[in-house]
Amino acid sequence: MVRDLCMFSKADEEAEVIWFRVAYRNTVHSEADITSLFAEKGLDMRFAYLDSLEDPSRGKYVIFTEVEKGKDVSSIVKELEELDVVLNVEFGISRNQVMQAVDFPLSLFGERAIILRARTFVDILKILNEHVQQAEGIQMLTGIKSGTIAVKLLREIININENNCFDLLKELFMAAGWGILEYDIDIHSLKGTITTRDCFISDSYKESEVPVCAYVSGFFAGFISEVTKRAVRVRESQCLTTGHISCEHIVSPAPEGTKIEHVLRRELD
Amino acid sequence: MIRQPNSILGNRQLLVTMGKKGELFGFFYPGRDFAQHLEESQSCLYDGHRLIWSNDHEWHVSQRYFENTNIVNTELVHPCGLKMHIRDFIHTDQPIMVRNYSITSHGGFHGKFFYYSNFKIGEMQKKNSAFCDHDAGMLVQYWKDYHIGISSRPVFEEWQIGKALDTIWWTNAKYDMEDGELQNNREDIGNINNAIGWKLDIDAGSTAEITIFISAASTRLSLYGRIRDIRNQTMENMLNETQESGIKWLSRKTLLELKDLPGFESVRLELMEAFNRSLLTLSILNDPVRGSFVAAPEFDHDFEKSGGYGYCWNRDSSEIVIALLNAGYPEYCERFFRWCKKTQLPDGSWFQRYWLDGNAGSSWGNFSHSTQIDETGSTLFAMESYYSSLEPVLKREFLDRIWATVLSAAEYLMRRTPEGMHEPCICLWETYSGIFTYTNAAIYGGLVGAAQMAKDYNEMDLASRWLERAELIKQQTIKQLWLPEEGYFARGIAHNGRIDKDIDASILGTFVPFNMLSADDENERAMIHSMIGNIESRLRVRVNDHFGIKRYEDDTYIDGNPWVVTTLWLSKAMLSLAGSIKGVNDGTEKNEEWKIMTTEALEYIRWSLRGTTSAGMLPEQVNKHTGRPAWAIPLCWSCALMLENIVLLDGLK
Repeated sequence: MVRDLCMFSKADEEAEVIWFRVAYRNTVHSEADITSLFAEKGLDMRFAYLDSLEDPSRGKYVIFTEVEKGKDVSSIVKELEELDVVLNVEFGISRNQVMQAVDFPLSLFGERAIILRARTFVDILKILNEHVQQAEGIQMLTGIKSGTIAVKLLREIININENNCFDLLKELFMAAGWGILEYDIDIHSLKGTITTRDCFISDSYKESEVPVCAYVSGFFAGFISEVTKRAVRVRESQCLTTGHISCEHIVSPAPEGTKIEHVLRRELD
Repeated sequence: MIRQPNSILGNRQLLVTMGKKGELFGFFYPGRDFAQHLEESQSCLYDGHRLIWSNDHEWHVSQRYFENTNIVNTELVHPCGLKMHIRDFIHTDQPIMVRNYSITSHGGFHGKFFYYSNFKIGEMQKKNSAFCDHDAGMLVQYWKDYHIGISSRPVFEEWQIGKALDTIWWTNAKYDMEDGELQNNREDIGNINNAIGWKLDIDAGSTAEITIFISAASTRLSLYGRIRDIRNQTMENMLNETQESGIKWLSRKTLLELKDLPGFESVRLELMEAFNRSLLTLSILNDPVRGSFVAAPEFDHDFEKSGGYGYCWNRDSSEIVIALLNAGYPEYCERFFRWCKKTQLPDGSWFQRYWLDGNAGSSWGNFSHSTQIDETGSTLFAMESYYSSLEPVLKREFLDRIWATVLSAAEYLMRRTPEGMHEPCICLWETYSGIFTYTNAAIYGGLVGAAQMAKDYNEMDLASRWLERAELIKQQTIKQLWLPEEGYFARGIAHNGRIDKDIDASILGTFVPFNMLSADDENERAMIHSMIGNIESRLRVRVNDHFGIKRYEDDTYIDGNPWVVTTLWLSKAMLSLAGSIKGVNDGTEKNEEWKIMTTEALEYIRWSLRGTTSAGMLPEQVNKHTGRPAWAIPLCWSCALMLENIVLLDGLK
């Protein structure tokens, strides 16, 4: 995953934010050479990220600095360009911008992405729950689609299989900011539980009479079904919003030919 | 969900709307307005790895009607070498849609053919029930007395009925298709969807054919009977019957010559096709028993961006039946006016809009100040137009039947015009509240028509009263709303008493259709010319290499596009002016005026034709940016005006 965005607030009214995007040849010392030059020139680095995942021979180093107003950085840029490892330098001066975004559009797994507050997502869910029939089904189906696509995208960068899929799911869940996940699942029988702490939905939803994380259940179902090529049923049995300390999702194989009357009669339990 | 069709099909009990890739958008049975039974219905191929839906963006598509029939040909070509040809039609006598698929692939294809449907029988997404009777080769979904059945030739080999939107997602038929195998679940209830499937092995150069029948019935028994019957009929016979039925019906139309139109020789065929397509469209959108018309097949069911169109407005239908009368189909008038007799309100007026069965439609016109008085005027005006076309004996019979309706409606108009101009109400566009030029013209036309019938009914006093009031309305409208400096009628008087000088194409109603202004009067003729000039200069929008006319200045409804109705209204006014000129071949100024009016009118007609769908459906609007058909498709009112324009054009000497 590549973080393609920087957002922060400029606190010092007398300073300017100057960003640099440095394309470099990837060696063991490339990043150190660039950072050293910034230190030499007295540029105060406030935020930076680098990425050489997509092409191991090249890297991209994005650096946000805070400098006194009016400082001429063109000579620094020239020196940067003269470094052996540097291929290209772009820079820009932010004038009173609160939020800085150098790379647009934001990208995740090579696909367009956006940043959304958890509360906004939950607002959508709440409106759905209030006004739309079978809102839980909609959320679950959306989650299934997301989980399925997540596996397909992961496959492009890693061999995902039954042995590593839950570890990858755990990493993905946290990296995406969705929560902290623990699992206890027998991969052969496809039975077990997934527990989430600080889940972004239940944490923002606050209180509810019923579990609210159908989207997450759906995501797990889509993810596991896509990896194992077996239809998996995932139900949320406990939820932060209903007074539990964490959310619990029960995983089981999807019964064949299940009808609602079977569920109502608890024939599947 | 709002989806605009590219073509429509129907018979006496069925109305189907289709997208340009052959996907079904609406399946109305038994009425044209209710009930609409589906959310989605389309085919899909499985190539062993993925599903290729017929509405995928990858397909190159063309869709047209088979000439002069209600048979739609849809050709889909996929970059992978697949070709799908769909012939769609409705059985001539039964409420059954026939979907004949021919599939070829230049490199061969080995996979599955699926047909997926998400029905909401009776417009109910919940409480539906479905079962697959594979022995009978049929999958049925029902709710109360609505039954929809899918069967096929050859009989489908696998199927699935599952929950469309439930947490037990693996039963969902759409998901079930993704692995290329259906689970064959035989029955389910609730919000459900279904799919049927066949193994599809096509060698390079060969063709596979699958025919799907979607039938409707009020009972399970009759559904089974219909499916049994249709399976015994050959495709060729059904196609021939459908084709013959369209051609036979069109053979009754007014014979058109459309010759000697300088500069427009190439348009003749296009006009003939538009005439036929408009006739066939109107026949489908009419309730053949009750006589009412939907304004357009409903596509905004939840009123997301409009108030919906699947209702009968007297304004639209009055113009439609007169257009059909002039095109050679008088029976539509007879049935519609019978419907008007039944639906007239106790005070003599007609409601804003109705369900086709005569029940009041959902409305924002429930009060005397929010009703639309013009609709009562239009209805009376149309009644008299029909009446005057009848033979003397039939005239008497018609008048005997309709007199009480005429009397009540005319007296309503009298009560609403105590000072000459009408009391405040809502304008024809359902946008403004106040007093309007158009509404006054419609009332004028209605009262003059009613007076003519009163004279023949030997009610001379009533005739005089109504004519006198009509004359007063005309005088007051000209006095208060004609803007002599600008040379057009103001739209009206706003609710705050201010004269609303915005120009509105509906002021043409003072000339056509309501004849408040006469082309034979020199002064009034000059007024008509001046109105036309102002409308052209202030309301025209350039798109598709010419100009369409928008409704009024600062129109914000659906982006303020030009409308086909207002454009054809303008051309109708021009053709009517041309038609009123006597001695056009004498080389005088009048000859020049005739040439200008007919040439310009033809340009506007051609512009309207450029805005149709690929299948020739006339829309309500044309997108001002893309030039493509917009919003309600097809709109009956647009079709009616197309008929009227072509008849007028044909009548020009």
